[in-house]
Amino acid sequence: MTTGINRHKWEPYLWLLPSTLLVSVFVLFPILIVFKLSFSEISPAGVVGGFIGFDNYVEAINLPAFKAVMLNTLWWVLSVVIISTILGFIIALVLNQKFHGRKIARSILVFPWATSLVIQASVWNYIIKYEYGSLNNVLLNLGIIKQAINFRSSYQIEFIWECWVGIFVTVPFVTFCVLSGLQSIDVSLYEAATMDGAGFWHKLRHITLPLVKPSLTVSTVLNIIYVFNSFPIVYTMTKGAPAHKTDTMITYLYMLSFYERKKGPATALSVIGFLILCLCAGIYMMTVMRKEEQQ
Amino acid sequence: MKRYPEIKKQNLRMAVLLILGLVLALILMSLPLYTFEIGVYTKKSPNTFAGDEKYIAARAEAEAAADEYRAQGFDVEVSESVVERTNSKGKTTSLFTFTVNERNSKNFWSFLGKDLPSSKVLICILGLMAFSVIFMFLGLSGSLDLLHRYLEPRSRIFRNLVIACLMAAIILIPVFILLNNVTFSRKLSLYNAELITEGKEAFYSSMDAFLFNGTMGENIRDALSGLKIEHSALVWLILPAFFISLLAAFSLRRGEIQSSLLKTCLYFFVIVVCVITLYPYYVMLITAFRSNAESLDMYFLHMFPTKWIWSNLTDIIHRGVPRFLLNSLFIAGGATGLAMLCGIPAAYALARMNFRGKKIFLGYVIMSQMFSPVVLLIGISQLMTTLHLNNTLWGLMLINAAFNQAFAIWLLRGTFVSISPEMEQAALIDGCGTIGALTKVLIPMAAPGIVTALIFVFINAWNEYTVATILISTAQYRPITVGITQFSSFNMIEWQYMFAASLLATLPVVILFMFIEKHLTAGLTSGGVKG
Amino acid sequence: MKKLFSLFLVLVLAFCAVTAAFADDITLDVIICQYGPNTNNWFERGGTGMDGSNFVEEFEAANPGIKLNLEVVSWNDVHQVVDTRIANGNAPDILNLDTFSEFLPDDLLLPVEEYTTEELFADFFPAFMQDFLVDGEYWAVPDLASARALYYNVDILEEAGVEVPTTWAELEDAAQAIIDFYDGEVYPWGIDMTTDEGQAAFAYYTWGNGGGFTDEDGEWALNSDENVEAIEYAIGLVNAGYTNPNPATQTRYDLQDMFATGKLAMMIGPNQIPTYVKDKGGDINMATASLPANEGKVSASVGVKDVMMAFRDDSVEDQDARNEAISAFMTFFYDPDNYVGWVSMEDFLPAVNSAVEALVEENPSFEAWLNVLATCKFYPTSKAEWAQVRQGVTTVEQNALTGADVRAELDALQAEITGE
Repeated sequence: MTTGINRHKWEPYLWLLPSTLLVSVFVLFPILIVFKLSFSEISPAGVVGGFIGFDNYVEAINLPAFKAVMLNTLWWVLSVVIISTILGFIIALVLNQKFHGRKIARSILVFPWATSLVIQASVWNYIIKYEYGSLNNVLLNLGIIKQAINFRSSYQIEFIWECWVGIFVTVPFVTFCVLSGLQSIDVSLYEAATMDGAGFWHKLRHITLPLVKPSLTVSTVLNIIYVFNSFPIVYTMTKGAPAHKTDTMITYLYMLSFYERKKGPATALSVIGFLILCLCAGIYMMTVMRKEEQQ
Repeated sequence: MKRYPEIKKQNLRMAVLLILGLVLALILMSLPLYTFEIGVYTKKSPNTFAGDEKYIAARAEAEAAADEYRAQGFDVEVSESVVERTNSKGKTTSLFTFTVNERNSKNFWSFLGKDLPSSKVLICILGLMAFSVIFMFLGLSGSLDLLHRYLEPRSRIFRNLVIACLMAAIILIPVFILLNNVTFSRKLSLYNAELITEGKEAFYSSMDAFLFNGTMGENIRDALSGLKIEHSALVWLILPAFFISLLAAFSLRRGEIQSSLLKTCLYFFVIVVCVITLYPYYVMLITAFRSNAESLDMYFLHMFPTKWIWSNLTDIIHRGVPRFLLNSLFIAGGATGLAMLCGIPAAYALARMNFRGKKIFLGYVIMSQMFSPVVLLIGISQLMTTLHLNNTLWGLMLINAAFNQAFAIWLLRGTFVSISPEMEQAALIDGCGTIGALTKVLIPMAAPGIVTALIFVFINAWNEYTVATILISTAQYRPITVGITQFSSFNMIEWQYMFAASLLATLPVVILFMFIEKHLTAGLTSGGVKG
Repeated sequence: MKKLFSLFLVLVLAFCAVTAAFADDITLDVIICQYGPNTNNWFERGGTGMDGSNFVEEFEAANPGIKLNLEVVSWNDVHQVVDTRIANGNAPDILNLDTFSEFLPDDLLLPVEEYTTEELFADFFPAFMQDFLVDGEYWAVPDLASARALYYNVDILEEAGVEVPTTWAELEDAAQAIIDFYDGEVYPWGIDMTTDEGQAAFAYYTWGNGGGFTDEDGEWALNSDENVEAIEYAIGLVNAGYTNPNPATQTRYDLQDMFATGKLAMMIGPNQIPTYVKDKGGDINMATASLPANEGKVSASVGVKDVMMAFRDDSVEDQDARNEAISAFMTFFYDPDNYVGWVSMEDFLPAVNSAVEALVEENPSFEAWLNVLATCKFYPTSKAEWAQVRQGVTTVEQNALTGADVRAELDALQAEITGE
């Protein structure tokens, strides 16, 4: 897709310079500090001591909750990313149709995205309360249920609720990414395909999907990262209770650092998370970009 | 192509289907769907044993109450139940419960002509059903030209009216069910507990008239205290019956049943998505305008606050919320501008130029996203101290711009790649510089992508919380996300203020979105893109 | 392109040029935790909570030459804020928190004698100060306290025909009677084992069984038989359905709300409960009693006291001037004219003698609470491992709620804390 319009060898780098500067100063520098900290001794109060090699890493991996938290993180990322990508894609297809009130529907869909996650999680906490939650109330008023339901009867169910809130706030992001991709598809392509007698699925597979793919790739890669690093939902709804059984990695290391005061292992854990993410996102990007090049 | 008689035949079929649906609904309505179990009297007596003094007294009391009801012609019976336990000291305790019960069932017609909110709704539903049939007959005379989807104006109006009537009826059915539940369980418990007193007399007398034909008089309050309402799940079958009619109405209007079905499903889907999306905001809204005292009425006995407390808004304004909003606006606006200013050139170079290290750069920016800010706090704080940007809005602005580079660059690059470079090349040949080609040709064409990136960066910066708690140490620089935390303290969480402030914080983003939404839909004119 | 780049450079340079360097005044960084809805308004510049003015402006007017950079931080964020500052070497000068011992091993704190006048020192409740004595030095001063008691809904207990329970067995009986009478519509007993309050639950039950966090010598004794029995009893209450259904996630706020609406019959809570219920418009007939204890064991009141502390800052040249400034802050803060207003606004109990008289005059119920406070047991906050213990016992409780063996969990925790 690229064209050779550069006149000087250094010109592309000049275009990249502002962005590189911004990222290097304000993101790379703190990242380097985290790496340094992960090899240093850190006291419970946060005072940074000397170099201690891989001790923090060893301690982190041997934490009793480590395995369970890793598994939770996997479920959390997979369920939220996959479900919200599918839902977001479907909603984008629908919102791309012409119908009365489309503008209103699109504006409404921005809402979950426009509200901060802390508030979003608080509201859902408020909604699913057993004793006087709004959801029980609405269902009772509609006569759908006869008795209030305890929506949080076990930690597995609480975790599902956390995933639901995650999906709820992620869907708009996917939807608008896909919508922006759909917008740049030429309508005449569809018209031509219709003339050739192509059905809905055929058009979806052979026109829509390939052209939306770049935006879908971006949204998926970023979603994996954002969902993995998402902190407020789990923290606000359960704080990982009971005993880290609903924690994801990022909330776990927060609890580890500020509640249990094991700052060294917490920092090491964050670097481990970073490496895992790099690996996953890296593999995903490599395959996608290779395909892109082949086309 | 279908000929006229065939179309007429199809129309007739649909008309019959429509009427069938309505008849089915009427049949369902005649079933005894509502059961009222009226515990006209309940007496609980703790520490009571069978045969002892307390038992005899309570039993006699219950019998007396039952006789009273029997005298009024009710079919009631006394039942007793006992719970016996042995406590830790080896002593046996027992609890007796005496209840005097009456059961009766009602169908929809029992609600007609009563002084209940749901009766009015029922009348509306029946009216709408009647009108839809009348309109259908009035509009049946015209016929549809399938090829051009053309219908004579008169028939078109009538057939549209049929659809409108049926849709309204479909919306009113759940309203009817909801109102019944609210009246018979929710509102009743409010009046009984004397949480509200306004209109109490009228309410009780209407209940008396409905359930006891006005025979209860003074005793109505006690009689209602144990009221249980139950409706059969069959109630919900009325909705599918109406849907059958609606589908018939759609095909009368549009000719093809398949596309009518699709359109119906589309609207249904969009409405469901919107309702689910708006639900938490409904909860926020009603909580935001309740009084602190009423926020304890957490049984949500009312769908809306009994009294809208607008002073909640002025209260949060006095507690610094406008200032916080301005700070947030400055931070998010600045961060968005900066992120775009740096991101667009980079994305342009990545999409249009060949150079070494392209992939490395893409990997580099994406890598910058892989640490959660929660983890980076120490580093960020150190950096800001070195740059003397601690406790400034500028610092937050720069951090937010930097943290959103990855998204901006990746999305913009994707958009630029999907746009054919021919137009720019033409512009370059015409003598525009690279910058000219970018600003005059590519950016307008890539508007949807740019707008998405813009919204994204703005929203992310607007909602940033963690870094702000660390960097900002004086009240005057707090962004709204941090400002809101002052409503949840050690002693209590002031939900009404918290949600009012959150709603205020959501509005600017939505308004911004509405302004630039048209660019998102603008799309590209035909010929701009060659895939 | 060049334009963009130069613009960026100019921006960066402009930001860097904004450096604040005011020499002569001493500036104190103060972090205060947010106790109630009015804390911000009372302390922060521009606020009007202190009879139309605010602490910062009043202080600066009274103490020329000292500037306050005072920040009210929510309890949720305060550890994150403080620890990050410490890691960067810019710890606050004065900090208000619930513990101080975690800062001792790094030698971060300034001994109390450096910044309190004799007069002020003598004013603190001596029993409180005793807990701040580590290695012969006092390291913090109390800023306020609260005492916990059993709150019960008089009407509910009366209707169900039960007495206020004083022993654990009576508590179970009462709970069963309430369940029977109200068909489970009312929860008899409130338990809060959430991440923020698990240590309180641990104290309520273990202290009521003669156990506790430490033994007589003040060494950690988390896995004593009494403790195991106590926690198993508490978990047993949950499993029998006598309590609110989700103790691991239902916070104190949830319990208070339920109590105020008559959904919960009994709960253990701080002395602010009546104010809370009144503010929320709750209209219930409530009373207090001492916490139920196991048969033959003494009921212990549970008290909580928060602290003020000052940090060392070796980069300051004139240490004496800095200490004096901190001292001025303390003196001004604990001045009855200011302190009484603050404590009564926050609805806590005072920590200094000079405030007692005025507070009792304002609100006679304070006297009873002060008596309770005198008999209270407090968390062992002076021990350096307290932060880990507090989190550890919560984790044990939450694990036990999901079916884990209490003894094994407590053994593991004890081993981890004592490093054996």
